[in-house]
Amino acid sequence: MLNKLGFTLIIIITLSIASIANGVEVGKKAPGFKAVDTKGNIVSLSDFIGKPVVLEWTNHDCPYVRKHYTSGNMQRTQSTLTEEGVVWLSIISSAEEEQGYVSGMEADKLTASRGAYPSNVLLDPKGNVGRLYAARTTPHMFLIDEKGILQYQGAIDDKPSARPASLKGATNYVKAAWTSLKAGEKVSVTNTKPYGCSVKYGH
Amino acid sequence: MRNLLSSIGLICLLALAGTVQAQRSVVEETHTKATLASEMSIIGADEVVWLALSYEPIAGWHTYWQNPGDSGMQTNISWELPTGFNAGKALYPVPDTLPVGPLTNYGYNGTSTLLVPLYTPENITTKSIKIKASAEWLICEIECVPQFGEFELELPVGKSTPSSENASLFAEARQKMPEPAFWDAEIEIAPEASKLTVFMASEEIETVENAYYFPAYEGVLDYAEAQIVNISDDGLVLNLKRLKGSLAPESAAGILKLNLPNGKVTAVQIDPALKVVDAIRTPMPLPEAASAEEGLPVWQAALFALLGGIILNLMPCVFPVLSLKAFSFLAAGSMTKSERKREGWAYTFGILASFGVIVGILLALRAGGSVVGWGFQLQEPIFVAFMVLLMVLVSLSLAGMFDIQTGLEGAGQSLASQEGSKGAFFTGVLATLVATPCTAPFMAPAIGYALTQPIYVALLVFFMLGFGLALPFLVLSYSDRIAKAMPRPGAWMETFKQGLAFPMLATAAWLLFVFNNEAGSIAMLFLIFAIITVVFAIWLWQQGDGKILRTIAAAFGILAIASVFWNVEPQHETETGETASKINDSKFANAGTFSNAALTDLTNEGTPVFAYFTADWCITCKVNERVALHREETIKLFDDKGITVLKGDYTNRDAEIAGVLSKYQRAGVPLYLYFPKGQKEAIVLPEVLTPGLLKEMVETNRI
Repeated sequence: MLNKLGFTLIIIITLSIASIANGVEVGKKAPGFKAVDTKGNIVSLSDFIGKPVVLEWTNHDCPYVRKHYTSGNMQRTQSTLTEEGVVWLSIISSAEEEQGYVSGMEADKLTASRGAYPSNVLLDPKGNVGRLYAARTTPHMFLIDEKGILQYQGAIDDKPSARPASLKGATNYVKAAWTSLKAGEKVSVTNTKPYGCSVKYGH
Repeated sequence: MRNLLSSIGLICLLALAGTVQAQRSVVEETHTKATLASEMSIIGADEVVWLALSYEPIAGWHTYWQNPGDSGMQTNISWELPTGFNAGKALYPVPDTLPVGPLTNYGYNGTSTLLVPLYTPENITTKSIKIKASAEWLICEIECVPQFGEFELELPVGKSTPSSENASLFAEARQKMPEPAFWDAEIEIAPEASKLTVFMASEEIETVENAYYFPAYEGVLDYAEAQIVNISDDGLVLNLKRLKGSLAPESAAGILKLNLPNGKVTAVQIDPALKVVDAIRTPMPLPEAASAEEGLPVWQAALFALLGGIILNLMPCVFPVLSLKAFSFLAAGSMTKSERKREGWAYTFGILASFGVIVGILLALRAGGSVVGWGFQLQEPIFVAFMVLLMVLVSLSLAGMFDIQTGLEGAGQSLASQEGSKGAFFTGVLATLVATPCTAPFMAPAIGYALTQPIYVALLVFFMLGFGLALPFLVLSYSDRIAKAMPRPGAWMETFKQGLAFPMLATAAWLLFVFNNEAGSIAMLFLIFAIITVVFAIWLWQQGDGKILRTIAAAFGILAIASVFWNVEPQHETETGETASKINDSKFANAGTFSNAALTDLTNEGTPVFAYFTADWCITCKVNERVALHREETIKLFDDKGITVLKGDYTNRDAEIAGVLSKYQRAGVPLYLYFPKGQKEAIVLPEVLTPGLLKEMVETNRI
């Protein structure tokens, strides 16, 4: 009888339970996640409690991402924010064999060759983090404050175009949100439609 | 040099082509042939001249609608026009859905043409005008390539004359444009759903086979979700999903595509009135043919409900309970026919009464304005917790751990095992109770539909559902022939019963998953322990009939059941369902990450610091956090004393934390350190915390 009982309980306990939230709300707690970085370390969002965090969905071959990197706009945004204490996580959710998929080594090479300043690059080839945040495009940006509350989600700026010239006079929503947050003010634009290539999730 | 010459030649040729091709300007991009064309070969003053921007993508590639959906981009055109001329907004043809993995885009496979109105001024002084356009459009297969084109048209001014060259291009483009609106519409937008109502007459709706809405603005609906078409008294209703945290739409305008008989498709522009609501009363998707009809005739709905009820008997959670009762019939050969009949009816009434209670609560909640659907019970973590317990107990009794006849300690079970009609009645109650988690996923649409109907229809549907659930047993109790045809009782029954434990366990597993999503993984862990304790208590109870033994067993059982209340209670008010919300805003959620540097900074400032080291896999840590740390009194205590909390998460390897642990001669977590104001030496707390201990620590600076 004890055997039966033990067996039954083992079945119950070993059930692995996954949470299935989808999409994130500005003003609410950003859902926690764990992902592997380019060196194979496990990085958890909760590692950064107490620090503001930017999530940047990226795919180096997407023309919209290229607009922001070849012009140096993304790197400038990264260096400004990280110097002010923001943790910048670039996340690659491209599935294997899809555009933008890279190994950890390739991702590090890209960071070096583009002179980028992410605090870390996370590899999410299964798209778990991407789906959790309902990341749709590259780039798709999220700003989480030091208490873990989502403060901004959407496009990097207000010029949905692949033309580098469109950067002139564009309002960088992420920078603007961070400037307000830093000053202790309310973020004025908190939610926009992201633009760019679709995130290349696996099928 | 030669190159230069040839390029000059090419430029001359192009310029020449430009004057010849004045009504058309063609750009050959890498993946698209794009054409800008004028409908007029000669333009007049003070009129609207339509321009067309037409894309011919290479095979397999697509361009986008004005709202490209989840990703993609609409066309950007910047115009360079003579003074007085103005270009209006581009009109897009009716789009298609373009799924890409889990995302959905709106756009065009193959050729598509945008139409742009050009408003000419009252006076045009020149003999001809030049129109320049610089366009950017995106073309994707899966990968995307932005395309750019510089277009130039030169049009003579005079008496306006249509271009014969471009006539067919415009005719085709207009055919693909949506019709202007002739229906009023309204859209209700709730946080995670929206509902579009198009006010159509019923004879208009009759011809509609399917419908799809393309919103022109962001935030109206989740592009990748199916759109569910229903019919209401007001007209055509589309029930739509919205992504949590979506943008508030600036307008709900868009294109409604209707599928008509014989493969015909029509599309109209509509501009629904926008109404923001808290929740949407959604008639769930109608099963079977119901959607196309004006709603199910009542007798048909009742018939479906009866069938549904009968099918419920086969569900993994109900079948075992039912078979228990059937076995008791088989075994009790001594029962007379009339006794059997009485039990059959008692069972039926048990089911109908429980259904009545549930439906009563449901209708009362609805009348009170709450938006609830079937399965609302399962939104109560406490209900789910007890259902898990019930499922585990039933399955263990099936597996043979408890003797059914001598009584079980589970809630309805002891009653259900009573002899006679009272017992049969409670078996009916139990069957309904265990059926609820199964009805939720399988029957929700039909029941949801019933709830949108008038009360008598809803009651009838539920009555039939309950009756269907009771029917097989009722038939068994009535028919001698069936009773005789049943297999003879024997040892096989025991084996069969044991096998039935597994579907019950599977149901428990599913409920546990539901509970985890509602109350969080820590609460789930506590629930599992509570269940183990209840099972232990029952096992203990059976070890003898000594008073002391039984008192201890009962105490264990009661404590465990009480702990389920205690465990679930503080979580109930949370909205996120992650962990308790009280904790979310507390010092502990906002605790700084531990580092030696941070600690030194804080102690140098003279700030009192409480540093705790924990890990997800450390049960002692989690228990301490729940029992002593994440409690209101502790949070208040720490607030009052201005204590800063630092958290060291040792879930994953961490050299710095390992260093701290070895400094305090600990092999692992938990470790609790308190640095009183102005002190750099830590007070090391024991591994098991209580709120009282923490209070003492803060007040006396020692342990």
